Amino acid sequence: METLILIIIGLVAGPIIGGLIAGLDRRVTARFQSRQGPPILQAFYDVAKLFGKEAMVVNQWQILCAWVYMIAAAVSVGLFFAQGDLLLIFFVQAIGSVFLVMGAMAGKSPYSQVGAQRELMQILAYEPILILVCVGFYLVTGSFSIEAVWQLDQPLLAKMPLLYLALGYALTIKLRKSPFDFSTSHHGHQELVKGVLTEYSGPYLALVEIAHWYETVLVLGLCSLFWTTNVAWMAVLLLLTYMLEILVDNTMARMTWRWMLKRVWLIGMGMSVVNLIWLYAG
Amino acid sequence: MFGSFIKKSRAKSPWIMHFDCGSCNGCDIEVLACLTPLYDVERFGVVNVGNPKHADVLLVTGTVNHRNKKVLKNIYDQMPEPKAVIAIGACGNTGGIFRECYNVVGGIDKIIPVDVYVPGCPAKPEAIIDGVVAGLGKFAQKVEEAV
Amino acid sequence: MSNLLLLLILLPVVSALVCYFVRSSAVRSLTVVATGAILTLAALGLLGQGTFEPLAVGSILGISSDFLITVMDFALLGVIFFYGLKHKSLLIQGFTLAQAALLVWFEMVMIDHTAVPALVGDQLSLIMVLVVSIIGSLICIFAIPYMKEHEDHLHLKKSRQPQFFFFLLIFLGAMNGLVLANNVLWLYFFFEVTTLCSFVLIGHDATEVATKNSVRALWMNSFGGLAFVIGMMLVYMKTGSLDISAILAAGPQGALMVTGVGFICLAGFTKAAQVPFQSWLLGAMVAPTPVSALLHSSTMVKAGVYVVLRFAPAYMGTLLSDGVAICGAFTFVACAALCIGQSNGKKILAYSTVSNLGLIICCAGINTPLAITAAIMLIIFHAISKSLLFLCVGTIEQAIGSRDIEDMRGLYAKYPRTALITIIGILTMLLPPFGVLVSKWMAIEAASSNIYVIIMLAMGSALTVVYWARWGGSLMATRVADAAPEKQALLIRLPLTILCAGAVLLSVAAPWIYNSMLAPMFKVAPFTMSFGSLDAVTGSVAIVPLFIVLGLGVLFAVKAASGFRKTKIMPPYLGGANAEEDGTYIGPMNGPVPFSAGNMYLGELFAEGKLTPIFNALAIALIVLMLGGAL
Repeated sequence: METLILIIIGLVAGPIIGGLIAGLDRRVTARFQSRQGPPILQAFYDVAKLFGKEAMVVNQWQILCAWVYMIAAAVSVGLFFAQGDLLLIFFVQAIGSVFLVMGAMAGKSPYSQVGAQRELMQILAYEPILILVCVGFYLVTGSFSIEAVWQLDQPLLAKMPLLYLALGYALTIKLRKSPFDFSTSHHGHQELVKGVLTEYSGPYLALVEIAHWYETVLVLGLCSLFWTTNVAWMAVLLLLTYMLEILVDNTMARMTWRWMLKRVWLIGMGMSVVNLIWLYAG
Repeated sequence: MFGSFIKKSRAKSPWIMHFDCGSCNGCDIEVLACLTPLYDVERFGVVNVGNPKHADVLLVTGTVNHRNKKVLKNIYDQMPEPKAVIAIGACGNTGGIFRECYNVVGGIDKIIPVDVYVPGCPAKPEAIIDGVVAGLGKFAQKVEEAV
Repeated sequence: MSNLLLLLILLPVVSALVCYFVRSSAVRSLTVVATGAILTLAALGLLGQGTFEPLAVGSILGISSDFLITVMDFALLGVIFFYGLKHKSLLIQGFTLAQAALLVWFEMVMIDHTAVPALVGDQLSLIMVLVVSIIGSLICIFAIPYMKEHEDHLHLKKSRQPQFFFFLLIFLGAMNGLVLANNVLWLYFFFEVTTLCSFVLIGHDATEVATKNSVRALWMNSFGGLAFVIGMMLVYMKTGSLDISAILAAGPQGALMVTGVGFICLAGFTKAAQVPFQSWLLGAMVAPTPVSALLHSSTMVKAGVYVVLRFAPAYMGTLLSDGVAICGAFTFVACAALCIGQSNGKKILAYSTVSNLGLIICCAGINTPLAITAAIMLIIFHAISKSLLFLCVGTIEQAIGSRDIEDMRGLYAKYPRTALITIIGILTMLLPPFGVLVSKWMAIEAASSNIYVIIMLAMGSALTVVYWARWGGSLMATRVADAAPEKQALLIRLPLTILCAGAVLLSVAAPWIYNSMLAPMFKVAPFTMSFGSLDAVTGSVAIVPLFIVLGLGVLFAVKAASGFRKTKIMPPYLGGANAEEDGTYIGPMNGPVPFSAGNMYLGELFAEGKLTPIFNALAIALIVLMLGGAL
């Protein structure tokens, strides 16, 4: 069936696109910092190397949680490519996040425990925004299904600009970019060592990384739905959004969870609510 | 097929952990200099992870003393195979000018097996990078020996 | 048919009397198990026979059943008034006297005493009967070894189990009667019986705290009873009928009648411990676990939401409907927020229960077929999962002596089966494709047309992830290879396993449950079923495909994890300073220093003491607005 083919395309293309984006991210970041940076395929070298490492765990729940995190992220991307229900896709993706947190709590290291609590704060911050974005989709198209978005003749960005900005907050948190990268970050040392990922190593860290690629593809896919009428403009939108993310990452320092909750709930939710009021009134 | 890609990737993605075993910080500053845009080791895929569980290469500076030898051993054990150890600076190689002190063990290889010795006081960043590349060459050897 | 109804309502009463008067624990256990089995079969039998039209209940032993109910009503009010005197509670005395006075006026002056068919069974009633009978029976069976251990622990000389099981079983009969009632006076009677049972069972341990909390529960529920009587009278004044089916068929009939329905909804709110009435449910957590599981999560509080849901057609499309939705959504988000600041396991479950009840009430207020479907599915799945979790917490409490989730850290090491069942229970409350989340998905899709509601639902949904995930994660730990197997009484293991399996299997069967029981309720069914998915215009949820894919994934993950003893096992990273003893590191004086981690309870934002007064005040304002809007 057509749906099955789309799902398979999603499952295969997801990590490839995600890895390339991760590699490009590091290269562009390096250029911002006046240096050369790693090759674009670096993310794939990293994951391959991790798969070749010795398997080492603190306890068996980490193995279970790493696998379920990756499978849930993959299923959510598959559903996305299959033009499924946005709200359902969001909840399936949440399975992965919950298992990441639980796996980190299973390992007794204080770094992973605190990292897990901070990860929960991050989830608390971005979940309402993602749900409200899905509601925004429903209000414009009359359905939560992605198929309905392709029927539009005007880009969604015209009707939901503030929701897109709020989605930017969620994107920053999901991509683990400063100022919201206090649960774990791509760069080296942080005050929690590697936070939520401290006790994952070797092949299981590789699984978590692949899951992260799937999530990147999912959230960027959600952004891409804001301009479905013209593929060129969609690409420009995605490019500009990602460049903005990298710029924010390089110019801002890591902040605290209190700062994040206040900002994201007040400003992010505030913008979402205002946009929703426009949609209800219109 | 995947096996050869994994082997190739080991050399292309060395994640380092840096540990100071009582160094005067001279070598540590040089190690950190490698990570700056001037020397930019990230173009070789090197990332400074602070966590032994994520690291492939352990960069150790300083003489080892009787207090932190246990810590060094612990961190080395927590690194998953394949791993390499690079001793940096005169102190790391042999204990340097502090060799005769009462608390000094005198060289990292007295506690953990060392793969590459980078001399210097302090070792130059170019030498450190050269040492890391030499250590990567040893990965392939190690994996074949283990098999 | 009428035999089944007789069994469902009256058999528990007979069993209760047996338990009370025959003081042998063996006979008691047998009676409870037998009653449970018969109730389950009767409920399934009733389901098999399908829905039935309003049915008249004739005389019992020559006396008109309506008259019996009226007499017992006043007797009940008398008993409650007596307790009000005994505990010197003016509130109870006041509310009961007011109820009695209004009831006298109602019965003597207002009603014209035409015969009203007393029982009816539509899909909602049948589903509620199943929930009450099956889950209730499992909990009563669990209570047998639990109460024995409980009383051993308290070193009681004289066992109080006879009256415990008396009220527990009477309660089952009353619940069955409540959900099958078609005569609004019968509904009120059974409603008050549940109030009395709750009061007695909360105060079972007879400690000072228990007595105080039971009195609070009694006055709040009496207030609910008063609201019910007022509502009943207002509705009668306009419709002239006590027949619920007739009232519902007529729909909203003017401001006075809708206000009456509003008061009945208020009664439902108090029974379901909505904000600002949630303190009685929180206080009820001092009762033994079977009470919390049965009354205060899966059945009695469902009677409250049942009342709101049952009367939904009577206020469809009115301002009252919007008011109910907003009150429900507010409770959902308020109690989810209060939950974050809790570390007491039973209080977390209590706040979560109130939160989900708020969601059900919110769906009843939205009042579209999609929303009503969401409400009923949520009733079913929440009842199973929450009762499972309460039983787990009870078991854990008896095992480790604490109900604080910080003390449950690493439970898997010593009690793997209980910990695993608890983790599965938590996952069924939180994640797709399980029933609770699918219902929440339906609720959000249904509520998207109301901006106030959807904002509250979005925030509440995010808050629920936090308090479940941190509890589930903290239970995980490593088990030593040759540890002794966990010992557990059969009658404890059986209900836990059945409920756990039930939660998972029923979630898989959700599309068929919808198709057979819920779709016939509506003129225009919200979903169509295909290949195990439920599809609607607004969106679709592929329940069975997701189960297959995710199930295979989890099985694969479990297999990968079970080989973990072949991987290298390392202690956690502690800066290289791991000491020999697990959970310590080498500290400043070269000695081992223990480290521990705790959850973030965000006291500065989410402390119970800080938030409760604000939420209570807001909720009272919203309820006043709701009732005013009805007028």
